Amino acid sequence: MRMNRIINIIISLTVTLTAYSCSSKPEGATQSGEEAPVFPDYKEVTIPANIAPLNFSFLGEGTAVLLSGDKVIRSRRGTFRFSPRKWRQLLEGCSDNGTIAMTVFAKKKGTWISYRPFNIYVSQDRIDPWFSYRLIPPGYQGWQEMGIYQRNLETYSEKAILTNDLTGGNCMNCHTYRGGDPSKMVFHARASFGGTVMVNDGEIEKLNTQTDSTISALVYPYWHPSGEYVAFSVNKTFQAFHNHDPNRIEVYDQASDVVVYNVKTHEIAWSPLTKSKDRFETFPTFSPDGKWLYFCSAQAVEPMPNKYKEVRYGLYRIAFNQESMAFGDSLECIYDAPADSASVSFPRISPDGRFLCFTRHGYGNFSIWHKDADLWMVDLADGLVKLLEGVNSEDVDSFHTWSADGRWMVFSSRRDDGLYTKPYFTHIDSEGNATKPFLLPQKDPVNYYKRLMKSYNLPAFTTDKVSVSKRKLTDVLRNSPGTDVKVK
Amino acid sequence: MNPFALAYREQQQLFIFDRTYLLGTLLKVGGLATLIARFIVQFFWNPALACTLTLLLLALSAFMTWSLVKNSWKDWTAIPLCLIPSFLIGVSLSDNSLHYEFLTSILLVQAGLLMFKSTKNRKLLWGSLLTIILYLTSGPAAILFALSAAVIEKSWKSLTYPIVALICVIAAYFTAAVPTWSFAFSPALYYDLDATLPVIHWGSWISLLVVVLCCEISKSLHWKRWIALTSGLVLALLVFIPTRQYLNRIKQEQPHLGYVFEHFTNNEDWDGLIEACKKAPWLPRTANYLNMALAWKGELADQLLKYDQHGPDGLVMTTKDRAVDVVQAHIMFAMGNVAAAQDVAFNTLSSLQGFCPAMLKINAQVELMRGSYEVADKYLSLLAKTPHYRKWAIEHRKFLYDDAAVESDSVLGSGRRNLSAKNRFIMYTNPMTELFPILDANPYDKRSLEYGLCYLLLSKDLNSVKHYIQDYYSSPDSPELPRIAQEAMVFYSEYSRNIDGIEPFGFDWCYEHGVQPETVKRFEEYQKAAVAGPVSLRRFRETYWYYLVHKEI
Repeated sequence: MRMNRIINIIISLTVTLTAYSCSSKPEGATQSGEEAPVFPDYKEVTIPANIAPLNFSFLGEGTAVLLSGDKVIRSRRGTFRFSPRKWRQLLEGCSDNGTIAMTVFAKKKGTWISYRPFNIYVSQDRIDPWFSYRLIPPGYQGWQEMGIYQRNLETYSEKAILTNDLTGGNCMNCHTYRGGDPSKMVFHARASFGGTVMVNDGEIEKLNTQTDSTISALVYPYWHPSGEYVAFSVNKTFQAFHNHDPNRIEVYDQASDVVVYNVKTHEIAWSPLTKSKDRFETFPTFSPDGKWLYFCSAQAVEPMPNKYKEVRYGLYRIAFNQESMAFGDSLECIYDAPADSASVSFPRISPDGRFLCFTRHGYGNFSIWHKDADLWMVDLADGLVKLLEGVNSEDVDSFHTWSADGRWMVFSSRRDDGLYTKPYFTHIDSEGNATKPFLLPQKDPVNYYKRLMKSYNLPAFTTDKVSVSKRKLTDVLRNSPGTDVKVK
Repeated sequence: MNPFALAYREQQQLFIFDRTYLLGTLLKVGGLATLIARFIVQFFWNPALACTLTLLLLALSAFMTWSLVKNSWKDWTAIPLCLIPSFLIGVSLSDNSLHYEFLTSILLVQAGLLMFKSTKNRKLLWGSLLTIILYLTSGPAAILFALSAAVIEKSWKSLTYPIVALICVIAAYFTAAVPTWSFAFSPALYYDLDATLPVIHWGSWISLLVVVLCCEISKSLHWKRWIALTSGLVLALLVFIPTRQYLNRIKQEQPHLGYVFEHFTNNEDWDGLIEACKKAPWLPRTANYLNMALAWKGELADQLLKYDQHGPDGLVMTTKDRAVDVVQAHIMFAMGNVAAAQDVAFNTLSSLQGFCPAMLKINAQVELMRGSYEVADKYLSLLAKTPHYRKWAIEHRKFLYDDAAVESDSVLGSGRRNLSAKNRFIMYTNPMTELFPILDANPYDKRSLEYGLCYLLLSKDLNSVKHYIQDYYSSPDSPELPRIAQEAMVFYSEYSRNIDGIEPFGFDWCYEHGVQPETVKRFEEYQKAAVAGPVSLRRFRETYWYYLVHKEI
């Protein structure tokens, strides 16, 4: 008797599941010609073949089904969910040119409507399997919980690298890897248990980076490709809240310089050209060959913040000698943004050294709060500067990093709700052309992103999982007195 | 136990019926205790309910302690002993830095002990399993279980339970489930992150174990009644001194005043808030709440000097640290400086143990004012997942994507007009500098208008008051000039005629700007009373003249 009941349940479940997965195509549907109202907007995006299933939700009225090839997928509570197996089948079954064709049908008042079909393009360029980010409420002044997390892009698995409940609820920021190498990482912790943490091939070191000769502790980092140096800015940064400006918050510097830190000797050095009183220098980045140090620089303006809109950063570079830790004796202007009434932030060079992607906006340097912030690209081969077509939105598109092979870029965007930053991924071809970006996939994206009260901050690819022990990081931050950084 | 302090716990968290929230909380060490605590605390919006629920839980705890020891003790004399842990936990809960899971974790441990006692077979296995399960669900309180179980069983084998608990502690530490050793083995896990745990909470925490120990030791002794009485007395004495010290400290700091004020503010019970403020000694923050209540009732200027006032700090006391300040957020919102309110409310929202519901409501309202409907929807969706705020959230959902509805709402519409003021950095200079552009954009916002007027009046800056009246009270559709402002101008007119350096102006100017002849007549009476002496002045105590001459700021 009991066995019969179990068999009945199994049969019922099988029938139900079969109905979900193998429904027949809606017949006699009326073509609406409208775009399917779905979130995330995965229409016409290019994705890597190793990405996690791109579940998405139908936001319109009625019951929805999705047709892809001969497969019909019913939505569950409005969401199209792909099991890993089904997703793999879709990717493997896509046409020769790597296209997955999809059509959304919705049944309203007994009538089927078909929305305009769309494609998802599958690139054979695989994306780095991991990326890490900070999750923080987008006010940046008050928080209870924040942390640096990593996510496997091939699944939905998310792990904390370090959360601030282990370190007295303090702020932690600026996590950066050497070219996506998870074994070489740097980040800062502030306030109680503060210090800069260097993770170098399993060794964890805490640094006290404030010196008498610099205006602040070390701030925005970028690793030298050799792993022997890290360039940092030092900034006197302040934050103010606008009454009624599309850019809610203004983060501005009253002074800033760029220095280079020697990982072995614990020394910092700089050039008078990267640490001048009459200019604000910030956001350093090394070229992939390590011979150039790029950074943003603006004419210093006083008084701040009254004249915050007059601060505009251009893009410069200075030669750097890896052997002697010496700087060149002249600056080269790569892009004179102030001449275009614009400002540059976050320069990042593609691993092949051909392209430099930066954020361009009207003024200032903290572009994550600037609605006009867009991603632009410099072709370092000919110096041509252009908007990165197809990537940007009406809202903020800012902080970005390249994948290890330079074929993918992740950046932060506020395009969805104007406040909470989310990570978007775009494919970059060998000529520097980008495709329509796609949002980080989630199992239930609508509910996940609506429920999320934190911003994805500083997205950064890594080629493998960051395996540094949370316990060790915590102990170093809480218990180590730290090594004082010296001036060379 | 202060009912308002208990009730304020409700503002330090937001229990959400949501899979992500529930799972996220459960997967932490002590997650189930936290979840149960938060579920209960969500009903603490009513102080009486908060007290009743807490007393019921403490009674349940005492009953479970009694159930644990009654078989070995076998008569009623253990009852006073069994009450001590509940009493101590009740005292500890007066400290709002001690999370409510301190109590729920002990309840789980007691339930575990009862289950363990009733187990007949494979006791070692069940005891060990329960230790692990309790460590995961209740945190370090599982150590109490393990030690109590060992005491109850009294065999070499029973030492397994403390050893299992020790393994849990080590595992929690090395997997970084807790920040330090003390979080792994002590009640520090139930206290504010990295704050120093007062000794009394240790006493409350181990009292259950002490009671079990006392009962088990003395059960076979025929003079156990004496032991019960003596141990009860010793325990009571042990807890008396630290308890008294602790309660004195709480009393001196008077944090309960803030809890009382916040309770009435969050429930928008302005009459209740005024009454509560009347009973409190004058402090700038007391006056902040009082004047805010008057402003929401539309009586700020009319009633201001009925109460003791000592300068503009009584209206709004700004602090440099904008990170966690619920009062500031409430006051800025009442003043009509909604951007400033949002800045503070957002930082405060994310700075407490969980999302502060009052701050989430302010954020949702300001996002509706801004027309940022996606973000407003996000906040309203969260509030809609709670029983107490669901109705409020649903009522506010009707404003989503409906500009006309927002603009026609008295609070949201006014706030939207205030936001259209000329852009500037908020909370950068002083509250008045920010209020002027708001009034230029929305001169009909009565609360903003009166806050501005009262700020200048309380500052005794009569020249600025005069300009303020010229700018905001002189058009045909301006509201009637409040009595205290009339009194200020009559005084200043008289003053200007006798003092060099001030451009003289007569009563004609006053009459043209809303001063009533009756005010001039009263001023003449005031002048006579001032000459006659303090007794004659009594009837003028609520006038601006009295404030100006006799109140120090």
